Amino acid sequence: MKGIFASLLLSTVILPFGAHAMERTEADSLIARAQRAYSAGDQRTALALYDSANTRYTSAALLYNIGNCHFKLNDIPHAILFYERALLREPGADDIRSNLELARQQTLDRVNELPGLQLGSTWERWRGGHDVDQWARRSLWTWATALFLFALSMAVTGLFLKRSLQVLTGIAVVVAIGAVVLAGTRTHEVRHPDGAIVMAPRVDVTSEPRVGSTALFLLHAGTKVTVRKEEAGWAEVALANGNVGWMPVRAIERI
Amino acid sequence: MRHGIHTLLTACVLFISTGALAQEITFDAKVDRNDFAVGENIRLTLSLTNGQGDITTPDLGGLVVVQGPFESSSFNYINGRMSSSVSRSFTLTATRPGDFTIGPAKARVGGGTISTDPITVHVEKGSAAPSDRSLQNVQSSNPDLFVSVTLSRQHVHVGEQIIATYTLYSRYPNLEVSNYDLPELNGFWAEEIDIGQTSWEDQLRAVNGLNYRVAVLKKQLLFPQHPGELTIGAVKLTCTVNRSFFNRGSRVEARSQPVTVDVTALPSDKPADFCGAVGQLVMDISVDRKEVKANEAIELTIRVNGRSNLKLIDAPKLTFPPDVESYDPKVEDHINVTGGGMSGSRAFKYLIIPRHEGDITLGPYSISYYDTEKDRYQVLNSEPIAIHVGPGSGNASARSSRPSKETVEMLDHDIRYLRTGDPGLREKDRFLYGSWAYISGMAAPVVALLLFMGWRRQREARAQDVTGQRRRRADRVARKRLKEAEQALTSNDREQFYAAMTKALQGYLADRFGLGVAEITPEVIATRLADRADDGELARSISDLIATCEMARYAPIEGRPRKELYAEAVRSIRQIENA
Repeated sequence: MKGIFASLLLSTVILPFGAHAMERTEADSLIARAQRAYSAGDQRTALALYDSANTRYTSAALLYNIGNCHFKLNDIPHAILFYERALLREPGADDIRSNLELARQQTLDRVNELPGLQLGSTWERWRGGHDVDQWARRSLWTWATALFLFALSMAVTGLFLKRSLQVLTGIAVVVAIGAVVLAGTRTHEVRHPDGAIVMAPRVDVTSEPRVGSTALFLLHAGTKVTVRKEEAGWAEVALANGNVGWMPVRAIERI
Repeated sequence: MRHGIHTLLTACVLFISTGALAQEITFDAKVDRNDFAVGENIRLTLSLTNGQGDITTPDLGGLVVVQGPFESSSFNYINGRMSSSVSRSFTLTATRPGDFTIGPAKARVGGGTISTDPITVHVEKGSAAPSDRSLQNVQSSNPDLFVSVTLSRQHVHVGEQIIATYTLYSRYPNLEVSNYDLPELNGFWAEEIDIGQTSWEDQLRAVNGLNYRVAVLKKQLLFPQHPGELTIGAVKLTCTVNRSFFNRGSRVEARSQPVTVDVTALPSDKPADFCGAVGQLVMDISVDRKEVKANEAIELTIRVNGRSNLKLIDAPKLTFPPDVESYDPKVEDHINVTGGGMSGSRAFKYLIIPRHEGDITLGPYSISYYDTEKDRYQVLNSEPIAIHVGPGSGNASARSSRPSKETVEMLDHDIRYLRTGDPGLREKDRFLYGSWAYISGMAAPVVALLLFMGWRRQREARAQDVTGQRRRRADRVARKRLKEAEQALTSNDREQFYAAMTKALQGYLADRFGLGVAEITPEVIATRLADRADDGELARSISDLIATCEMARYAPIEGRPRKELYAEAVRSIRQIENA
């Protein structure tokens, strides 16, 4: 019976990817060509090829490479945008973090981030995992393990063994619930990112969503903001230091 | 009007003159031609005939006297008539094209004054190659005494050398310079060129047809320090001219005109090792020795040779191996500043002390300069120099056994390279979490667990019902054993028969009542079968039957025929079963 279940699971997971195998190889070959162009110093061609690969498929590595092209072409706001996108998919990646840090040094605005965001690297690495589905897979495994342990604890007769298996079952259930929660939040984060990067060279952040209201502060290209809501072409944004205001949606680009 | 007065005067003179001198007095001015070019000469002649008096030189209206005045006079007696003439002539030239008017010349004759008509001349642009334009300008401001500032080049790069020559032009035979003001040189770094004692040149020099005595006052090397239009201001010279034993002379001021230099910035692709030199250079690197002991000094010399702004070259910033101590370089110059510019060599001497034994490599080092002939930056590279450092004397080698730790120095920052290898592409907006695969994956273990628990419960229920099972199976088991007994009966195997009989009866009862075989005693049988209506008949007969069979099994006594025993056993079991 377990075997039937396993093959069912495999078929549902793998079949959808297999169906588009042709297009995937196409995207892979575009990426290989882009990489050759980049190492030959032609970042403009590399960027165009990477962009064309990044239509239906994407990955943290691809987004990171696009960010690198923008950086080398001195388009810092876009470099930051793509590094942030890559980091969203792979929050623990050292290379993305390091390049993002370098790109941020070249922006004008210095926003003091809350300390938690900076020391969270280890937590982010652990939480972010290698790809978006990692926690979903982990939740499946831990859930199956928890139930298996439970079944085992019922089957054994030795009292001590039964107790230990019950304790292990309890731990596994807690871990499984944690994994489900993480999988849910990670998927939501990637599916509905709330961050955005300022693209306009300079933009006033105003107190109300209309032209001519009081300008609260001034932002420059490359600064990361959190979009709280959008309303008729205006976005309510919050900075990492907690300041909130409105700016035109066209001045920012969503991560 | 003036002509009228002139005629009247002439008439008066005529009237006054006696017979012998009844000659006409004339005074006129002539030029040999009215059209000429810059640099050419014309001759102006003022002649007074039949009169004697002072002739005043007319206003020349911008024309310059090259030579003159020359005076000549003549007396003639022809047929008893005396005529005299006095003439004064000048050689004139023009320093610029245009129309010039020579004003009226005046002569005082007797009590009156007569004057000539003004003359207009037209000056063309010279057909001959004109002199330096700036020279022409400054000449026209004062043709007798001026100073020119000539530059070897007027379009230069920042740092490129220019030779500025200050030359005095004079047409005064006698001149003393009493004071001079040199211009301020804003934006230049200047170096004097030694030209020795200032003296007049042997040859006269002609400028626009005028001959001058010339003296070079000063030569300077100028190095522009920043791009743009840089101006060298005017030189002011105060001179005393025509001083003689009898004459205190007069003061004349000579000036030059400001000169501008167009300085362009060096191209922006300045190499990091640019040393500030502009010109032509070669580099030579040497060390005084290649084998040393630890803690002994080596002198590394970098010498640049050539024609350039050598005095402005900065010491190259050399990097040495980390365990080598180095000191700021000593600068040694062999620089000549001559009329040809600045040339020679500048040497930077670095004292370096290797602290530990081992082989070290110095360089390769490079410096770059701006080559004015090729109009681009040139890099001078050196070969690396290998130095063998032998063990130092006692104390030092003990120290060298423990090398000091150096922190890794970051030279520059750059982003990390691309991620290569499998990009791990996945479809956008397709997530495992929340998909059907995920839901079924979560549900599947639950279903499996429920199925497992159901199966287990069923098995347990059956396991609990073991007595019923035995009871249900009791008849079947008994029949099987009775069949064995029947076989033993036919084969006349006594022992086998009684064993099978005992087993069949006892096993049946044990199965039937859910007891162990050992528990089957006559009392138990009686109790179990007490509810029967036969008043314990069946119980007694079974107990007897068992007892008989047991007895017959272990002792050679056979109370009853075997066939009868068998039949009774079968009947008894059927009776219990049917109840």
